[in-house]
Amino acid sequence: MTALPEVGTRRFRMPAASLGAHAGTRLSVAILVALGILTLVALFARLLAPYDPVQPIGALNLAPGAEGHPLGTDSIGRDILSRTLIGVQVSWFSSLIIVASGLVIGGLIGVAAGVFGGWVDAALMRFTDLFLALPGTLVAIAIVAALGYNLQNTLIGIAVVWWPYYARIIRGEVKSFAARPHVEAARVAGASRTRIVFRHIVPGVVPTAIVTASLDIGNVVLLLAGLSFLGLGQPAPAPELGADTARNLSQLLSEWWVPVIPGLAVLVLSLLSNLGGDAVRTLLAKRR
Amino acid sequence: MTDVATVRDLEVSLVRDGVRSDVLRGIDLSVRSGEILGMVGESGSGKSVLALAMMGLLPTSAQPRVGGTVGIGDTDMVNGRPDELRAVRRNELGVIFQDPMTSLNPTMRVGAQIDESTHDSAESLRLMTAVGIADAALRFTVYPHELSGGLRQRIMAAIAVAGRPSLIIADEPTTALDVTVQAQVLDLLRELRDEFGCSVVLITHDLAVAAQIADRVAVMYAGRIAELGPTEEIIHRPTHPYTVGLLRSRLSLDTPRDRRLLTLRPETASAAERLKGCAYHSRCPLAVEQCGVEQPPLAPAAEGTAEVSSTEHVRACWRSVSDVQGYTHDTLDAPPIAAAPSSGASDATQPAVLITGLTTVFTLKGGGRRRRQVHALRGIDLSVAAGEAVSIVGESGSGKSTLLRVIAGLAPATTGRVQLAGRGAQMVFQDAGSSLTPWLTVGDILRERLRPLKLDRAATARRIGDSLEAIGLPETVSTLRPAQLSGGQRQRVALTRATIIPPSVLLCDEPTSALDASLAASVLNLIRELRSSLDMTVLFVTHDLAVARLMGDRVVVMTQGTIVESGEADAVIRHPEHEYTRSLLASVPEIGVLS
Repeated sequence: MTALPEVGTRRFRMPAASLGAHAGTRLSVAILVALGILTLVALFARLLAPYDPVQPIGALNLAPGAEGHPLGTDSIGRDILSRTLIGVQVSWFSSLIIVASGLVIGGLIGVAAGVFGGWVDAALMRFTDLFLALPGTLVAIAIVAALGYNLQNTLIGIAVVWWPYYARIIRGEVKSFAARPHVEAARVAGASRTRIVFRHIVPGVVPTAIVTASLDIGNVVLLLAGLSFLGLGQPAPAPELGADTARNLSQLLSEWWVPVIPGLAVLVLSLLSNLGGDAVRTLLAKRR
Repeated sequence: MTDVATVRDLEVSLVRDGVRSDVLRGIDLSVRSGEILGMVGESGSGKSVLALAMMGLLPTSAQPRVGGTVGIGDTDMVNGRPDELRAVRRNELGVIFQDPMTSLNPTMRVGAQIDESTHDSAESLRLMTAVGIADAALRFTVYPHELSGGLRQRIMAAIAVAGRPSLIIADEPTTALDVTVQAQVLDLLRELRDEFGCSVVLITHDLAVAAQIADRVAVMYAGRIAELGPTEEIIHRPTHPYTVGLLRSRLSLDTPRDRRLLTLRPETASAAERLKGCAYHSRCPLAVEQCGVEQPPLAPAAEGTAEVSSTEHVRACWRSVSDVQGYTHDTLDAPPIAAAPSSGASDATQPAVLITGLTTVFTLKGGGRRRRQVHALRGIDLSVAAGEAVSIVGESGSGKSTLLRVIAGLAPATTGRVQLAGRGAQMVFQDAGSSLTPWLTVGDILRERLRPLKLDRAATARRIGDSLEAIGLPETVSTLRPAQLSGGQRQRVALTRATIIPPSVLLCDEPTSALDASLAASVLNLIRELRSSLDMTVLFVTHDLAVARLMGDRVVVMTQGTIVESGEADAVIRHPEHEYTRSLLASVPEIGVLS
C-alpha cells in the first residue's frame, strides 16, 4: 500500500513545471545549450576577440556600433568587446574552479564525516562550523590582502571559505543514505566497507551535489565580480568585468557604455548560471 | 432505508509519472444509512481513489478526469462547487486514514485538534471518552507522538465523528497496527456506527478484516466492482472467480501446512489487453472466449440459480454461478510440497544457530543529557537445528526484528553470544524495494555477492542466470534496476541475492507483510522450496500467526524482549500455554474455510 520511499535526492519543483512536463524539459535543455555556447565562447575568447584587449587601438570613447568596434572603446581607446570577452573568460572559468574546489574539498570532508561518524564526524563538523561562522567574503578579502593582489590569490581566498557549505550538505546526504535499508542489505551480503561507501552510498549523493553546485555558480560569479569591483582581482590593465566597471564609473553619465557593458556581462553570466542550476535540477528530478 | 452516498458510473483517470491511466472504470454503488460497507481489493484496484473521489479530494496534481457522479446527500462531489464540497466534508463526512501519525498534526495537542471540529472542549472530552480513551482529561493535552498507534487512531476517530457525520470513510485504518490493536480499532468502528448511527466505508486489502465487521462487502478489481453482496454470502458463497481466488490465497490458521499455498495466477497480459473484456480474464482459471472480448455487467447473482439466496448479491462474470462454485469445490486441494529435510538430517550434532544469554540494550540520546536505555532483548536462549525452520512471532516492539538483526550482525549484542554454522547467515528484508540499491542493476547487485568466489565473467553470468531462473525470474531481469520491477519481483531478487551462494541460515524479516495476499503466498511457497532444495535453516520473523504456523516447524513467541513460548507449530497454535499467545490468537481475524 505504502509508496516506496523516493530514491535519490531531495525533490525540487521548478515553476516551469506548470507549463507542462515537456515545456519544462525543453526550456531546461535550451538553457543548458545556451550555457554550453557561453562556455565555448569563453574557451575561445582569445580567438574571438578582434583586438588585443590591453592595447589602445582606436579613438577614445567610441560609442557602440562604431566601425570596427561593435561595443565601442573606452577612455584610452581599448576595444570594449575584446575586453568583455576576455573578462567573461576569466569570470566564468574562475567560478567553475571555485565551485569544483568546493565540491572536492567539501565532498571529501562531508563523505568522511558521514561515513566514519563518531568523533571523526564531530571533529570535522566543528572544523566546518568554524569556517561557516567566519564572514566568508571578509576572510577572502583578508587572505587576498595578505597574499597579494592577483587572480590566483583571489581564487585561493574564496576557495578557502567556500567548501563548508558543501561539506554540510554532503555529510547530511551521506548520513541519510547510510541509514537506508539497502546499505544494511549490502552489509549482510558481505560487501566491504569501501565498496559500500563508493557503490551504495556515494552514487546516491552525486545528484544532490551536482544540483547544489550548479545552483551555486551564480553566487560565485557575483562574488568574484564584487571582489574585482573592490580592486581585489588582477591588477590593471588586465581586463576584468568587475574592475572595468569600477574604474570607469566616472563616465557613467557621459559615456555610459564604458562601465555598463562589463556590468551587463556579469548580469548575463549570473542569470544564465542560475537558470542553468534550475535546469539541472529539473532534468535530474525528471530522470528519477 | 435511504442511501447516504450514491456512486453512479464513476470513471476516474489519473496521470502518474506522466502516463494517464483509467483508475476507476464504471463504479455503481450505494452506501446505505447505518451500514458498514467493506471495500476490498489488492493494491492498484482503485479502492483508495474511490474513497478520495467520494470526498471530492482527488489530487489535482494527478490531473483527474472524472465521469459519472458521486452524490453525498444532495451534493454532487464530482461537479460541485468547492465551497459546497467543503460544507459536505465538514458536515457529512468523517475520515480515518491508515497512518494516524501522518494525518494528525504533530505540532498541536490532540485535544486542540478535536476542538477544531467540535469548537467545544467539553464536547471533545466527551468524544474522547466515547471512542474509548481512558483518562481523556489527562490525554487531552498531549501531542500525537506521545500516544500509541491504537490511541492515535482513536483520536482520529474522535475527530471523524465530531461533526456528526452521516458517513465515515476509513482507508486501511488497521494496516499499520498490531493485530491486538487492529481488533480494538475494528470494534471501535462498529461502536461508532452503533452509537452515532453513521455509515462506515471500510477500505481494506484483507477480506477477513472486512468480514469481521462489514454488513456488505464490495470486491474491487482493476477499477471495477467484481462482486458485491452481504458479507456472509461473499465469504461463504462467492460467485466471482477473483473472490474465490482471494479467499483461497488468504492464509489462515487452518491452511494445510504440508501443501503448496494456493495463489492467483500471475498477471501475464499487457495493460492494453486487460482493458478489453473482463479485467480479470487474463488471470482467471475459468475464462472463456467471451471474457476477453466483452465486459460482463454487474448483475444479480441469484438469476437462474438456487444456490445463492439473496437478490442483493451482484457479480460481474460471464460464467454461471454454478460453474464458479463447482470450480471452488473441485480444486481446493493443492499439490503437496516437497518434504523438508528432517531436522538434524544434515548435521545432527551441530545446531545451525545457537544463541545463549543474548541481551541487547540500546542507548537513545534524548534532548540535552538525558539518555534512555531500551532493553530490546532481555536474555534470549535459542537453539535451531540444522535444516529446521523456526518462526518468531511477536508484535512491534517485541524485539523479534532486533533478534534477527543481531544474528545477521547488523545490531550489537550487549551480552551473550550467537554462533552460526559454517556458511553464515543471509537476510531478506521486509521492504524488498528499499533493500535493493536503487541505482544498481539486478546484475550488479548479484555480481557483488559472487565476488568472493572470483569467478570469471562468463561463469558469473551463468550463475546469475541460473539463480534467477530457479527463482522464477527471466534472465533479462539482470539488466533492470529495482524501480523497474514489481513488488513481487523485487522480493524474488532479494531472495536470489540471499541464496545465490546458499547460506547455512536464511533470516526472513517479515518478507511478505508489504505484499498482497496472493503475492505473499507465492513468496512463501518460494522460501519453502528454497529451504528444501538448498538445505537451509530458516528463521522467519512475522507478526502474523497464520504465516508463522506455515513457515516454521517450530513457533517461538516473543514479547518485550523475551521468549515466552516455544514449541511445535501446531501445538502452539492449537494449545497455547502462555497468556500472551492466547491474546494474540484471539485477535486474529478469521473467516473460516470455504464451505
